[in-house]
Amino acid sequence: MLKTPGWEWMIVVYFFVGGIAGGAYFTAALADTFGTRRDGTVTRVGYLLALPLVALCGILLIADLGVPTRFMNMLRVFKFWNPMSIGAWGVGIFGLFSVVSAGLSFSERLATLRRGVGLVGMIFGFFLASYTGVLLSTTAQPFWGEARLMGALFLASGASTGMAAVSLVLLLIGGATGEGWRKIRWADRSSMVIELVVLGVFLAALGAAARPITTGHFAPLFWGGLVGAGLLVPLGLDIVAHRVKVVGALSAVLVLVGGFVLRYVVLMSIQS
Amino acid sequence: MARTLAMFTDTSLCIGCRACQVACKQWNELGQEVPEWTGTYQNHAHFTDKTFRLVRFIEEPKPQGQMAWLLMSDVCKHCADAGCLNACPTGAIERTAFGTVNINQDVCNGCRYCVSACPFGVVTFNHDTGTAHKCSFCNDRIHNGLGPACAKACPTESIQFGFRDDLVAKATKRVAALQAMGFKEAQLYGADSQGFLGGLNAFFLLLAKPATYNLPDNPQVPQRNVVRDSVFSLGSALLVGLGAIFAFRRRGEGKESDHA
Repeated sequence: MLKTPGWEWMIVVYFFVGGIAGGAYFTAALADTFGTRRDGTVTRVGYLLALPLVALCGILLIADLGVPTRFMNMLRVFKFWNPMSIGAWGVGIFGLFSVVSAGLSFSERLATLRRGVGLVGMIFGFFLASYTGVLLSTTAQPFWGEARLMGALFLASGASTGMAAVSLVLLLIGGATGEGWRKIRWADRSSMVIELVVLGVFLAALGAAARPITTGHFAPLFWGGLVGAGLLVPLGLDIVAHRVKVVGALSAVLVLVGGFVLRYVVLMSIQS
Repeated sequence: MARTLAMFTDTSLCIGCRACQVACKQWNELGQEVPEWTGTYQNHAHFTDKTFRLVRFIEEPKPQGQMAWLLMSDVCKHCADAGCLNACPTGAIERTAFGTVNINQDVCNGCRYCVSACPFGVVTFNHDTGTAHKCSFCNDRIHNGLGPACAKACPTESIQFGFRDDLVAKATKRVAALQAMGFKEAQLYGADSQGFLGGLNAFFLLLAKPATYNLPDNPQVPQRNVVRDSVFSLGSALLVGLGAIFAFRRRGEGKESDHA
Protein backbone atom coordinates (compact mmCIF):
# COMPACT_ATOMS: atom_id res chain seq x y z
CA MET A 1 0.00 0.00 0.00
CA LEU A 2 3.00 2.26 -0.37
CA LYS A 3 2.87 5.32 -2.58
CA THR A 4 5.54 6.20 -5.10
CA PRO A 5 6.66 9.82 -5.32
CA GLY A 6 6.07 10.22 -9.06
CA TRP A 7 9.65 11.24 -9.79
CA GLU A 8 9.57 10.66 -13.51
CA TRP A 9 11.36 11.88 -16.61
CA MET A 10 12.63 15.19 -15.26
CA ILE A 11 14.21 13.41 -12.31
CA VAL A 12 15.62 10.67 -14.56
CA VAL A 13 17.33 13.38 -16.61
CA TYR A 14 18.39 15.24 -13.47
CA PHE A 15 20.02 12.15 -11.92
CA PHE A 16 21.82 11.47 -15.21
CA VAL A 17 22.98 15.06 -15.79
CA GLY A 18 23.91 15.56 -12.13
CA GLY A 19 26.12 12.47 -12.30
CA ILE A 20 27.89 13.80 -15.39
CA ALA A 21 28.33 17.27 -13.87
CA GLY A 22 29.80 15.86 -10.65
CA GLY A 23 31.96 13.35 -12.52
CA ALA A 24 33.28 15.92 -15.00
CA TYR A 25 34.10 18.33 -12.17
CA PHE A 26 36.02 15.93 -9.97
CA THR A 27 37.84 14.50 -12.99
CA ALA A 28 38.86 18.05 -13.93
CA ALA A 29 40.01 18.81 -10.39
CA LEU A 30 42.04 15.59 -10.10
CA ALA A 31 43.58 16.12 -13.56
CA ASP A 32 44.49 19.66 -12.56
CA THR A 33 46.18 18.63 -9.33
CA PHE A 34 47.74 15.32 -10.23
CA GLY A 35 48.22 15.68 -13.98
CA THR A 36 50.75 17.65 -15.95
CA ARG A 37 50.37 21.01 -17.62
CA ARG A 38 49.42 19.16 -20.79
CA ASP A 39 46.26 17.94 -19.04
CA GLY A 40 45.01 21.53 -18.93
CA THR A 41 42.53 20.82 -21.70
CA VAL A 42 40.90 18.03 -19.70
CA THR A 43 40.60 20.37 -16.73
CA ARG A 44 39.11 23.19 -18.77
CA VAL A 45 36.66 20.90 -20.58
CA GLY A 46 35.60 19.28 -17.30
CA TYR A 47 34.92 22.60 -15.56
CA LEU A 48 33.22 24.17 -18.57
CA LEU A 49 31.03 21.10 -18.97
CA ALA A 50 30.03 20.97 -15.30
CA LEU A 51 28.75 24.56 -15.29
CA PRO A 52 25.92 24.36 -17.86
CA LEU A 53 25.01 20.88 -16.65
CA VAL A 54 24.58 21.94 -13.02
CA ALA A 55 22.51 24.89 -14.26
CA LEU A 56 20.30 22.39 -16.09
CA CYS A 57 20.10 20.36 -12.84
CA GLY A 58 18.75 23.39 -11.02
CA ILE A 59 16.16 24.07 -13.71
CA LEU A 60 14.98 20.43 -13.74
CA LEU A 61 14.74 20.27 -9.96
CA ILE A 62 12.73 23.46 -9.72
CA ALA A 63 10.47 22.55 -12.64
CA ASP A 64 9.66 19.17 -11.08
CA LEU A 65 8.37 20.70 -7.84
CA GLY A 66 4.62 20.81 -7.26
CA VAL A 67 4.94 24.55 -6.56
CA PRO A 68 8.11 25.68 -8.36
CA THR A 69 7.82 29.25 -7.05
CA ARG A 70 8.41 27.89 -3.55
CA PHE A 71 11.78 26.28 -4.38
CA MET A 72 13.53 28.65 -1.98
CA ASN A 73 11.63 26.98 0.88
CA MET A 74 14.25 24.22 0.59
CA LEU A 75 16.68 26.73 2.12
CA ARG A 76 14.52 27.47 5.18
CA VAL A 77 15.94 24.47 7.00
CA PHE A 78 19.03 22.31 6.97
CA LYS A 79 18.59 18.67 7.98
CA PHE A 80 21.94 16.92 7.83
CA TRP A 81 20.32 13.46 8.00
CA ASN A 82 18.05 14.20 5.07
CA PRO A 83 19.42 13.71 1.52
CA MET A 84 16.72 15.95 0.00
CA SER A 85 17.67 18.80 2.32
CA ILE A 86 21.45 18.52 2.03
CA GLY A 87 20.93 17.80 -1.67
CA ALA A 88 19.24 21.15 -2.25
CA TRP A 89 22.07 22.93 -0.43
CA GLY A 90 24.70 20.75 -2.11
CA VAL A 91 23.48 21.44 -5.65
CA GLY A 92 23.55 25.16 -4.91
CA ILE A 93 27.06 25.08 -3.43
CA PHE A 94 28.32 22.88 -6.25
CA GLY A 95 26.85 25.39 -8.70
CA LEU A 96 28.86 28.20 -7.06
CA PHE A 97 32.05 26.15 -7.25
CA SER A 98 31.32 25.38 -10.91
CA VAL A 99 31.01 29.08 -11.72
CA VAL A 100 34.30 29.93 -9.99
CA SER A 101 36.20 26.96 -11.43
CA ALA A 102 34.91 27.58 -14.95
CA GLY A 103 36.07 31.18 -14.66
CA LEU A 104 39.48 30.22 -13.28
CA SER A 105 39.97 27.58 -15.96
CA PHE A 106 40.94 30.35 -18.39
CA SER A 107 43.77 31.68 -16.27
CA GLU A 108 47.17 30.07 -15.85
CA ARG A 109 48.29 32.82 -13.48
CA LEU A 110 45.65 31.72 -10.99
CA ALA A 111 46.42 28.00 -11.35
CA THR A 112 47.20 27.54 -7.66
CA LEU A 113 43.95 29.18 -6.62
CA ARG A 114 42.08 27.09 -9.21
CA ARG A 115 43.56 23.87 -7.83
CA GLY A 116 42.63 24.83 -4.29
CA VAL A 117 39.08 25.70 -5.30
CA GLY A 118 38.88 22.52 -7.37
CA LEU A 119 39.93 20.26 -4.52
CA VAL A 120 37.21 21.67 -2.25
CA GLY A 121 34.60 21.82 -5.01
CA MET A 122 35.43 18.22 -5.89
CA ILE A 123 33.85 17.13 -2.60
CA PHE A 124 30.56 18.64 -3.78
CA GLY A 125 31.04 16.99 -7.17
CA PHE A 126 31.30 13.58 -5.52
CA PHE A 127 28.32 14.55 -3.41
CA LEU A 128 26.15 15.52 -6.39
CA ALA A 129 26.97 12.27 -8.17
CA SER A 130 26.06 10.06 -5.20
CA TYR A 131 23.47 11.73 -2.97
CA THR A 132 20.72 11.01 -5.50
CA GLY A 133 21.29 7.31 -4.88
CA VAL A 134 21.19 7.77 -1.11
CA LEU A 135 17.99 9.80 -1.58
CA LEU A 136 16.36 6.72 -3.10
CA SER A 137 17.86 4.28 -0.61
CA THR A 138 16.41 6.25 2.30
CA THR A 139 12.80 5.94 1.19
CA ALA A 140 10.27 3.38 2.39
CA GLN A 141 9.97 1.95 -1.13
CA PRO A 142 10.73 -1.67 -2.01
CA PHE A 143 14.01 -2.16 -3.93
CA TRP A 144 15.13 1.50 -3.48
CA GLY A 145 14.93 1.37 0.30
CA GLU A 146 16.82 -1.91 0.43
CA ALA A 147 19.65 -0.88 -1.90
CA ARG A 148 22.45 0.00 0.50
CA LEU A 149 24.82 0.58 -2.43
CA MET A 150 22.56 2.83 -4.52
CA GLY A 151 24.69 5.90 -3.76
CA ALA A 152 27.93 4.02 -4.42
CA LEU A 153 26.57 2.76 -7.75
CA PHE A 154 25.34 6.19 -8.82
CA LEU A 155 28.72 7.66 -7.93
CA ALA A 156 30.64 5.12 -10.02
CA SER A 157 28.19 5.74 -12.87
CA GLY A 158 28.60 9.50 -12.45
CA ALA A 159 32.36 9.05 -12.73
CA SER A 160 32.21 6.87 -15.84
CA THR A 161 29.62 9.08 -17.58
CA GLY A 162 31.39 12.30 -16.56
CA MET A 163 34.67 11.02 -17.98
CA ALA A 164 32.89 9.78 -21.12
CA ALA A 165 31.32 13.21 -21.62
CA VAL A 166 34.70 14.93 -21.17
CA SER A 167 36.22 12.49 -23.72
CA LEU A 168 33.56 13.29 -26.28
CA VAL A 169 33.97 17.04 -25.88
CA LEU A 170 37.73 16.65 -26.19
CA LEU A 171 37.21 14.81 -29.44
CA LEU A 172 34.72 17.36 -30.77
CA ILE A 173 36.98 20.36 -30.11
CA GLY A 174 39.98 18.54 -31.55
CA GLY A 175 41.73 18.37 -28.20
CA ALA A 176 41.90 14.60 -28.25
CA THR A 177 45.48 14.49 -29.33
CA GLY A 178 48.04 12.55 -27.40
CA GLU A 179 48.11 11.86 -23.72
CA GLY A 180 45.08 13.80 -22.49
CA TRP A 181 42.83 11.50 -24.47
CA ARG A 182 44.66 8.35 -23.37
CA LYS A 183 44.53 9.41 -19.74
CA ILE A 184 40.85 10.23 -19.70
CA ARG A 185 40.05 6.94 -21.47
CA TRP A 186 42.20 5.09 -18.92
CA ALA A 187 40.40 6.84 -16.07
CA ASP A 188 37.04 6.06 -17.70
CA ARG A 189 37.95 2.38 -18.00
CA SER A 190 38.90 2.26 -14.33
CA SER A 191 35.55 3.85 -13.45
CA MET A 192 33.73 1.31 -15.63
CA VAL A 193 35.49 -1.56 -13.88
CA ILE A 194 34.61 -0.08 -10.47
CA GLU A 195 31.01 0.44 -11.60
CA LEU A 196 30.78 -3.20 -12.73
CA VAL A 197 32.15 -4.42 -9.42
CA VAL A 198 29.83 -2.15 -7.40
CA LEU A 199 26.89 -3.25 -9.57
CA GLY A 200 27.77 -6.91 -8.95
CA VAL A 201 27.86 -6.41 -5.18
CA PHE A 202 24.70 -4.25 -5.40
CA LEU A 203 22.79 -7.07 -7.10
CA ALA A 204 24.22 -9.78 -4.87
CA ALA A 205 23.34 -7.83 -1.71
CA LEU A 206 19.82 -7.10 -2.93
CA GLY A 207 19.04 -10.63 -4.08
CA ALA A 208 15.33 -10.96 -4.74
CA ALA A 209 14.77 -7.29 -3.87
CA ALA A 210 16.44 -6.35 -7.19
CA ARG A 211 13.76 -8.16 -9.18
CA PRO A 212 12.07 -4.93 -10.37
CA ILE A 213 15.10 -4.40 -12.62
CA THR A 214 16.58 -7.88 -13.06
CA THR A 215 13.37 -9.60 -14.13
CA GLY A 216 10.22 -8.60 -15.96
CA HIS A 217 9.47 -5.56 -18.06
CA PHE A 218 12.68 -3.64 -17.30
CA ALA A 219 15.06 -6.61 -17.45
CA PRO A 220 15.95 -6.36 -21.17
CA LEU A 221 16.80 -2.69 -20.74
CA PHE A 222 18.80 -3.34 -17.58
CA TRP A 223 20.81 -6.32 -18.83
CA GLY A 224 21.04 -5.22 -22.46
CA GLY A 225 21.18 -1.45 -22.12
CA LEU A 226 23.24 -1.04 -18.95
CA VAL A 227 25.22 -4.22 -18.23
CA GLY A 228 25.83 -5.16 -21.88
CA ALA A 229 25.77 -2.13 -24.14
CA GLY A 230 26.49 0.37 -21.37
CA LEU A 231 29.38 -1.33 -19.55
CA LEU A 232 30.75 -4.62 -20.93
CA VAL A 233 30.77 -3.60 -24.61
CA PRO A 234 32.38 -0.15 -24.12
CA LEU A 235 34.89 -1.60 -21.67
CA GLY A 236 35.84 -4.31 -24.18
CA LEU A 237 36.01 -1.84 -27.07
CA ASP A 238 38.08 0.58 -25.07
CA ILE A 239 40.56 -2.02 -23.87
CA VAL A 240 41.05 -3.36 -27.39
CA ALA A 241 41.20 -0.18 -29.41
CA HIS A 242 40.98 3.06 -27.40
CA ARG A 243 43.79 4.53 -29.51
CA VAL A 244 41.40 4.51 -32.45
CA LYS A 245 39.44 7.70 -31.81
CA VAL A 246 36.21 6.44 -33.38
CA VAL A 247 36.22 3.38 -31.13
CA GLY A 248 36.98 5.48 -28.05
CA ALA A 249 34.17 7.84 -28.99
CA LEU A 250 31.74 4.97 -29.54
CA SER A 251 32.73 3.57 -26.17
CA ALA A 252 32.08 6.95 -24.53
CA VAL A 253 28.66 7.25 -26.19
CA LEU A 254 27.72 3.77 -24.98
CA VAL A 255 28.79 4.62 -21.43
CA LEU A 256 26.52 7.68 -21.53
CA VAL A 257 23.63 5.57 -22.80
CA GLY A 258 24.28 3.07 -20.00
CA GLY A 259 24.31 5.84 -17.39
CA PHE A 260 20.94 7.08 -18.61
CA VAL A 261 19.50 3.56 -18.70
CA LEU A 262 20.65 3.01 -15.09
CA ARG A 263 18.75 6.07 -13.82
CA TYR A 264 15.75 5.23 -15.98
CA VAL A 265 15.34 1.60 -14.91
CA VAL A 266 15.99 2.35 -11.22
CA LEU A 267 13.47 5.20 -11.09
CA MET A 268 10.78 3.85 -13.38
CA SER A 269 10.83 0.15 -12.47
CA ILE A 270 8.90 0.63 -9.23
CA GLN A 271 6.94 3.68 -10.34
CA SER A 272 5.18 2.28 -13.39
CA MET B 1 4.75 20.67 25.51
CA ALA B 2 1.23 19.62 26.12
CA ARG B 3 0.43 16.02 26.93
CA THR B 4 0.55 13.94 23.78
CA LEU B 5 -2.86 13.48 22.19
CA ALA B 6 -3.78 10.26 20.47
CA MET B 7 -6.49 8.38 18.66
CA PHE B 8 -7.14 4.77 19.56
CA THR B 9 -8.99 2.85 16.87
CA ASP B 10 -10.48 -0.33 18.30
CA THR B 11 -11.30 -2.35 15.19
CA SER B 12 -13.31 -4.89 17.22
CA LEU B 13 -16.01 -2.21 17.67
CA CYS B 14 -16.09 -0.98 14.07
CA ILE B 15 -19.35 -1.65 12.22
CA GLY B 16 -18.19 -0.24 8.90
CA CYS B 17 -20.68 2.64 8.80
CA ARG B 18 -18.06 5.06 7.46
CA ALA B 19 -19.36 7.95 9.53
CA CYS B 20 -15.68 8.74 10.26
CA GLN B 21 -14.82 8.82 6.58
CA VAL B 22 -17.71 11.18 5.82
CA ALA B 23 -17.09 13.40 8.86
CA CYS B 24 -13.45 13.74 7.82
CA LYS B 25 -14.45 14.72 4.30
CA GLN B 26 -16.96 17.28 5.53
CA TRP B 27 -14.89 18.94 8.21
CA ASN B 28 -11.76 19.12 6.10
CA GLU B 29 -13.68 20.17 2.97
CA LEU B 30 -12.24 17.33 0.93
CA GLY B 31 -13.80 17.22 -2.50
CA GLN B 32 -15.66 14.37 -4.09
CA GLU B 33 -13.86 11.63 -5.94
CA VAL B 34 -14.88 9.12 -8.56
CA PRO B 35 -15.44 5.80 -6.77
CA GLU B 36 -13.39 2.82 -7.86
CA TRP B 37 -14.21 -0.87 -7.92
CA THR B 38 -12.09 -2.62 -5.28
CA GLY B 39 -13.80 -6.00 -5.21
CA THR B 40 -15.08 -5.30 -1.69
CA TYR B 41 -17.31 -2.73 -0.02
CA GLN B 42 -14.21 -0.63 0.56
CA ASN B 43 -13.85 2.67 -1.23
CA HIS B 44 -11.25 3.90 -2.03
CA ALA B 45 -8.59 1.25 -2.33
CA HIS B 46 -6.00 3.47 -0.62
CA PHE B 47 -5.68 6.82 1.03
CA THR B 48 -5.91 9.61 -1.52
CA ASP B 49 -5.28 13.33 -1.45
CA LYS B 50 -8.96 13.69 -0.54
CA THR B 51 -9.48 10.63 1.67
CA PHE B 52 -7.68 10.82 5.01
CA ARG B 53 -9.91 8.40 6.96
CA LEU B 54 -10.56 5.15 5.15
CA VAL B 55 -12.60 2.22 6.42
CA ARG B 56 -10.95 -0.96 5.23
CA PHE B 57 -13.29 -3.89 4.53
CA ILE B 58 -11.38 -7.14 4.70
CA GLU B 59 -13.14 -10.44 4.10
CA GLU B 60 -11.49 -13.34 5.84
CA PRO B 61 -12.44 -16.91 4.88
CA LYS B 62 -13.40 -18.97 7.95
CA PRO B 63 -12.62 -22.69 8.31
CA GLN B 64 -16.35 -23.50 8.04
CA GLY B 65 -16.46 -21.86 4.63
CA GLN B 66 -18.17 -18.65 5.66
CA MET B 67 -16.62 -15.24 5.31
CA ALA B 68 -15.94 -12.96 8.24
CA TRP B 69 -15.64 -9.18 8.10
CA LEU B 70 -12.60 -7.51 9.46
CA LEU B 71 -13.28 -3.80 9.56
CA MET B 72 -10.67 -1.20 10.25
CA SER B 73 -10.92 2.54 10.10
CA ASP B 74 -7.43 3.48 8.95
CA VAL B 75 -5.76 6.86 9.25
CA CYS B 76 -2.39 8.59 9.34
CA LYS B 77 -0.49 7.08 12.28
CA HIS B 78 1.12 10.35 13.46
CA CYS B 79 4.31 8.39 14.21
CA ALA B 80 6.46 9.55 17.12
CA ASP B 81 9.42 9.13 14.73
CA ALA B 82 7.85 9.95 11.39
CA GLY B 83 9.39 9.16 8.01
CA CYS B 84 7.56 12.05 6.33
CA LEU B 85 8.69 14.57 8.94
CA ASN B 86 12.30 13.38 8.68
CA ALA B 87 12.07 13.60 4.90
CA CYS B 88 10.59 17.09 4.60
CA PRO B 89 13.29 19.51 3.33
CA THR B 90 11.21 22.68 3.73
CA GLY B 91 10.01 22.37 7.30
CA ALA B 92 6.42 22.23 6.02
CA ILE B 93 5.84 19.00 7.92
CA GLU B 94 5.88 19.85 11.58
CA ARG B 95 5.29 18.24 14.95
CA THR B 96 2.61 20.10 16.85
CA ALA B 97 2.69 20.76 20.58
CA PHE B 98 0.23 17.86 20.93
CA GLY B 99 2.63 15.40 19.30
CA THR B 100 0.69 15.14 16.04
CA VAL B 101 2.25 15.53 12.59
CA ASN B 102 0.87 18.23 10.31
CA ILE B 103 1.69 19.49 6.80
CA ASN B 104 1.74 23.27 6.52
CA GLN B 105 0.16 23.79 3.11
CA ASP B 106 1.60 27.29 2.81
CA VAL B 107 5.17 26.00 3.02
CA CYS B 108 5.14 22.65 1.17
CA ASN B 109 6.69 22.98 -2.29
CA GLY B 110 5.71 19.57 -3.59
CA CYS B 111 9.06 17.72 -3.72
CA ARG B 112 7.23 14.49 -2.81
CA TYR B 113 10.06 12.99 -0.73
CA CYS B 114 7.58 12.56 2.15
CA VAL B 115 5.32 10.52 -0.15
CA SER B 116 8.15 8.06 -0.76
CA ALA B 117 9.22 8.04 2.89
CA CYS B 118 5.92 7.06 4.56
CA PRO B 119 6.04 3.36 5.46
CA PHE B 120 2.22 3.26 5.40
CA GLY B 121 1.54 4.99 2.08
CA VAL B 122 -0.46 7.73 3.80
CA VAL B 123 0.96 10.97 2.40
CA THR B 124 -0.43 11.75 -1.06
CA PHE B 125 0.52 14.34 -3.64
CA ASN B 126 -2.30 16.59 -4.82
CA HIS B 127 -1.86 17.69 -8.43
CA ASP B 128 -4.21 20.65 -8.05
CA THR B 129 -2.42 22.33 -5.16
CA GLY B 130 1.00 20.86 -6.05
CA THR B 131 1.51 19.93 -2.40
CA ALA B 132 1.43 16.84 -0.18
CA HIS B 133 -1.73 16.09 1.79
CA LYS B 134 -2.64 13.86 4.71
CA CYS B 135 -4.69 13.72 7.89
CA SER B 136 -3.85 16.69 10.14
CA PHE B 137 -5.44 15.11 13.23
CA CYS B 138 -7.95 17.93 12.69
CA ASN B 139 -5.29 20.40 13.70
CA ASP B 140 -7.80 23.26 13.85
CA ARG B 141 -10.17 21.31 16.10
CA ILE B 142 -7.61 20.02 18.59
CA HIS B 143 -6.22 23.52 19.04
CA ASN B 144 -9.73 24.58 20.03
CA GLY B 145 -10.36 21.84 22.52
CA LEU B 146 -12.33 19.58 20.20
CA GLY B 147 -11.57 16.01 19.19
CA PRO B 148 -10.92 15.05 15.57
CA ALA B 149 -14.05 14.95 13.41
CA CYS B 150 -13.76 11.19 12.81
CA ALA B 151 -13.62 10.33 16.52
CA LYS B 152 -16.51 12.72 17.21
CA ALA B 153 -18.67 11.04 14.56
CA CYS B 154 -17.94 7.41 15.49
CA PRO B 155 -21.19 5.92 16.89
CA THR B 156 -19.58 2.85 18.51
CA GLU B 157 -16.54 4.48 20.12
CA SER B 158 -14.37 2.42 17.83
CA ILE B 159 -12.38 5.64 17.40
CA GLN B 160 -11.47 7.18 20.73
CA PHE B 161 -9.66 10.44 21.26
CA GLY B 162 -7.76 11.53 24.32
CA PHE B 163 -4.41 11.72 26.04
CA ARG B 164 -2.10 9.02 24.79
CA ASP B 165 -1.20 7.50 28.15
CA ASP B 166 -4.88 7.20 29.15
CA LEU B 167 -5.77 5.57 25.84
CA VAL B 168 -2.89 3.09 25.99
CA ALA B 169 -4.02 2.00 29.47
CA LYS B 170 -7.58 1.57 28.20
CA ALA B 171 -6.42 -0.33 25.10
CA THR B 172 -4.27 -2.70 27.14
CA LYS B 173 -7.28 -3.68 29.26
CA ARG B 174 -9.46 -4.06 26.20
CA VAL B 175 -7.02 -6.38 24.39
CA ALA B 176 -6.77 -8.59 27.50
CA ALA B 177 -10.55 -8.77 27.70
CA LEU B 178 -10.84 -9.72 24.02
CA GLN B 179 -8.22 -12.44 24.37
CA ALA B 180 -10.10 -13.83 27.36
CA MET B 181 -13.23 -13.90 25.17
CA GLY B 182 -11.40 -16.09 22.64
CA PHE B 183 -10.07 -13.57 20.14
CA LYS B 184 -6.64 -15.21 20.16
CA GLU B 185 -5.03 -12.86 17.65
CA ALA B 186 -6.30 -9.64 19.24
CA GLN B 187 -3.33 -7.32 19.51
CA LEU B 188 -2.35 -3.69 19.76
CA TYR B 189 -0.56 -2.06 16.84
CA GLY B 190 1.68 0.91 17.55
CA ALA B 191 0.68 1.39 21.19
CA ASP B 192 4.16 0.66 22.53
CA SER B 193 6.24 3.83 22.65
CA GLN B 194 9.35 1.64 22.90
CA GLY B 195 8.30 -0.22 19.75
CA PHE B 196 8.55 0.64 16.06
CA LEU B 197 8.61 4.31 15.01
CA GLY B 198 8.66 5.33 18.68
CA GLY B 199 5.00 4.39 18.90
CA LEU B 200 2.07 5.64 16.84
CA ASN B 201 -0.08 8.51 18.09
CA ALA B 202 -2.93 6.94 16.13
CA PHE B 203 -2.71 3.33 17.26
CA PHE B 204 -4.97 0.36 16.71
CA LEU B 205 -6.43 -2.75 18.22
CA LEU B 206 -6.43 -5.45 15.55
CA LEU B 207 -8.24 -8.80 15.53
CA ALA B 208 -5.72 -10.48 13.24
CA LYS B 209 -2.08 -10.21 12.26
CA PRO B 210 -1.05 -6.78 10.92
CA ALA B 211 -0.39 -8.29 7.48
CA THR B 212 -4.08 -9.21 7.22
CA TYR B 213 -4.83 -5.49 7.28
CA ASN B 214 -1.98 -4.75 4.87
CA LEU B 215 0.02 -3.17 7.68
CA PRO B 216 3.78 -3.75 7.87
CA ASP B 217 4.93 -5.93 10.81
CA ASN B 218 7.91 -3.81 11.70
CA PRO B 219 7.87 -0.46 9.87
CA GLN B 220 11.07 1.58 10.08
CA VAL B 221 12.07 5.18 9.55
CA PRO B 222 13.81 5.01 6.17
CA GLN B 223 16.34 7.73 7.08
CA ARG B 224 17.99 5.34 9.53
CA ASN B 225 20.22 4.20 6.64
CA VAL B 226 21.62 7.61 5.68
CA VAL B 227 24.99 7.26 7.40
CA ARG B 228 25.71 3.71 6.24
CA ASP B 229 24.69 4.40 2.64
CA SER B 230 26.79 7.58 2.61
CA VAL B 231 29.84 5.71 3.89
CA PHE B 232 29.48 3.20 1.05
CA SER B 233 29.24 6.13 -1.39
CA LEU B 234 32.40 7.59 0.10
CA GLY B 235 34.16 4.24 -0.50
CA SER B 236 33.06 4.34 -4.12
CA ALA B 237 34.30 7.95 -4.39
CA LEU B 238 37.71 6.95 -3.05
CA LEU B 239 37.99 4.13 -5.58
CA VAL B 240 37.10 6.20 -8.66
CA GLY B 241 39.17 9.10 -7.33
CA LEU B 242 42.22 6.88 -6.95
CA GLY B 243 41.60 5.51 -10.45
CA ALA B 244 41.58 9.02 -11.87
CA ILE B 245 44.65 10.08 -9.89
CA PHE B 246 46.50 7.01 -11.09
CA ALA B 247 45.43 7.62 -14.71
CA PHE B 248 46.62 11.21 -14.80
CA ARG B 249 49.69 10.74 -12.70
CA ARG B 250 51.16 7.53 -14.09
CA ARG B 251 50.93 8.43 -17.76
CA GLY B 252 51.82 12.04 -17.04
CA GLU B 253 55.17 11.35 -15.45
CA GLY B 254 56.20 9.02 -18.24
CA LYS B 255 55.29 11.44 -20.98
CA GLU B 256 56.68 14.49 -19.24
CA SER B 257 60.07 12.87 -18.88
CA ASP B 258 59.96 11.96 -22.58
CA HIS B 259 59.64 15.62 -23.46
CA ALA B 260 61.90 16.98 -20.77
